[in-house]
Amino acid sequence: MIPDEAELTAGVKIEPGKSYGFFTDTTRCIGCKACEVACKEWNLLPADGLHLTGMSYDNTVGLSASTWRHVAFIEKISDGDGRATEMAPYQSNWLMMSDVCKHCHNAPCLEACPTGALFRTEFDTVVVQQDICNGCGYCVPACPFGVVELNMIDGKAHKCTLCYDRLKGGLEPACAKACPTDSIQFGEVGELQQRAHQRVSELHELGVDSAYLYGVPNSPGATGDLGHLNAFFLLTAEPEAYNLPAAPSRASNRVGPSLSFGLAAAAGLALAAAALFGWQK
Amino acid sequence: MTLVSTPSRAPYGREAKYDPLRADNAPITTYYDQPQLKKSHWGTRVALYIFIAGLSGGAQLIATAADLAGGEQHRGVVRRGRHIALLGVFFGPPLLIWDLHSPDRFYNMLRIFRRTSPMSIGTYILSSFSLFSLMTATAQLAGWRKAAQLTQLPAAIAGAGMTTYTASLLTATSTPLWAAAPRSLALQFAGSSFGAAAAALQLAGRVDGDEAAAPVLEGLALAATATEFVGALAAERRHRALGIADAASVNTASGALYKLGALGLGTAVPLASYAGKLIGGRPRPWLMMTTALAVLAGSFALRLSVLAAGNESAQRPQQSLRFARREKVR
Repeated sequence: MIPDEAELTAGVKIEPGKSYGFFTDTTRCIGCKACEVACKEWNLLPADGLHLTGMSYDNTVGLSASTWRHVAFIEKISDGDGRATEMAPYQSNWLMMSDVCKHCHNAPCLEACPTGALFRTEFDTVVVQQDICNGCGYCVPACPFGVVELNMIDGKAHKCTLCYDRLKGGLEPACAKACPTDSIQFGEVGELQQRAHQRVSELHELGVDSAYLYGVPNSPGATGDLGHLNAFFLLTAEPEAYNLPAAPSRASNRVGPSLSFGLAAAAGLALAAAALFGWQK
Repeated sequence: MTLVSTPSRAPYGREAKYDPLRADNAPITTYYDQPQLKKSHWGTRVALYIFIAGLSGGAQLIATAADLAGGEQHRGVVRRGRHIALLGVFFGPPLLIWDLHSPDRFYNMLRIFRRTSPMSIGTYILSSFSLFSLMTATAQLAGWRKAAQLTQLPAAIAGAGMTTYTASLLTATSTPLWAAAPRSLALQFAGSSFGAAAAALQLAGRVDGDEAAAPVLEGLALAATATEFVGALAAERRHRALGIADAASVNTASGALYKLGALGLGTAVPLASYAGKLIGGRPRPWLMMTTALAVLAGSFALRLSVLAAGNESAQRPQQSLRFARREKVR
């Protein structure tokens, strides 16, 4: 094995204590699904079957317990008033985007986990410890992106680990290494954000006004107290077109208001009970 | 509000600049109508747990109130309340462990305490409730009145948590129907729990032939179901304001259960029946017993229908994406 191989393949030395993530540039995605395959191979994830959805070229449909990278295919066939009759020349009329766990700064799945199976690693990523998870399933509805899922065969929650094992060995995550167009870039989050901002201005100069970032501070996706997303995206259409929420929120923000309100109601009713009993005495 | 699913349509790349500050009610183009969220796996088992937790927590609180503020004629309520609280002790933990997908590792719940997770908070509420309720019931059985008076206080505090923490459990998720109404859902659950406890105590009293506390319990059930009703109205308002479906409308089956069971049996029937008696109707024991049964059934129906409706809303991208537009940082 080559020590610190990521220096050669991604130009980054992987060291504990730093934040790592993905910058997924959808304008560079060609929909080859090499990331999906590399992820499945490295992480020994089972195939999802050979069914065809018929809705687009996307037969994977979404992220699941056994699919940790998912390439969305969005056909631009409508201009809002029915089928488009004209399309821009020399342009693909498809949007393609490789979706993944966002490794949120304030991760709702981690905050929901009652066993501590979900934890933040020394690389600032969010991972499910399989030997601790007891399959309570609370992380599943907690995630605002619909990423984490229970596997009904082993009874544990699963999601992208940002190749925790590879990072420990100084290797770039499998999906980023396999990506032939560098649509998926792996690196330190701060540096990736800089690179992403640069790419957006580059695209704006080229006339792609629609390019923007999803998941960097003060942008769509990094809303509702989630902080930034360690795995963030460059998009050219509304977030919803890629099945991403425009303004996701941190689920744990709702614990305080709900619990205090409920306890106040219970206390009020208990006092009413005491008053009624005392009055009848 | 009725939900009409818009046809699958992907956007044509007019290369229009995406404006994050566009109108909240602008139409949403979903990703071929594929779900944007994963739903919880909770069903009948968890609904039954939430019902029993609320019932037993409320019963412990009412028993403590009767012990502290009531007279000798209320000793029956104290005794029966402490017994009903044992339902949560004996059925609560098994139901929850049964619902885990790796039940042999249930003890990992006790590894840590996480204040951001109502599931973790609830683990400790249920544990302390079970411990102190068991001690109180044992002291009661042995006739140690002073000991029971001491242990009932922590049991009652944990009991208050039991009546309402399950609402926080649902609302601290990304499921739009639950997440949209943190406060009103808590009000609904707390009210329904108290109503069920008062109804069960009233029923048990009549079976025992001890009706001394019946007027108090009826008054309490009236206040509790009124609280629940206010919560239901507030939840509906909130869902409408956010432009998403509420429990009554998200789909036909859970909507019917919510309207007939939770709202009908759980609030309309007891409000009419108890208020009628309060205004000066003749005491009709059969009517009061039927009403108590309706309150209990309504309390279970509330939990069952809210769980089902929430799971349905998580599967609908128009719901979750709309909620995620409105729920801005404020």
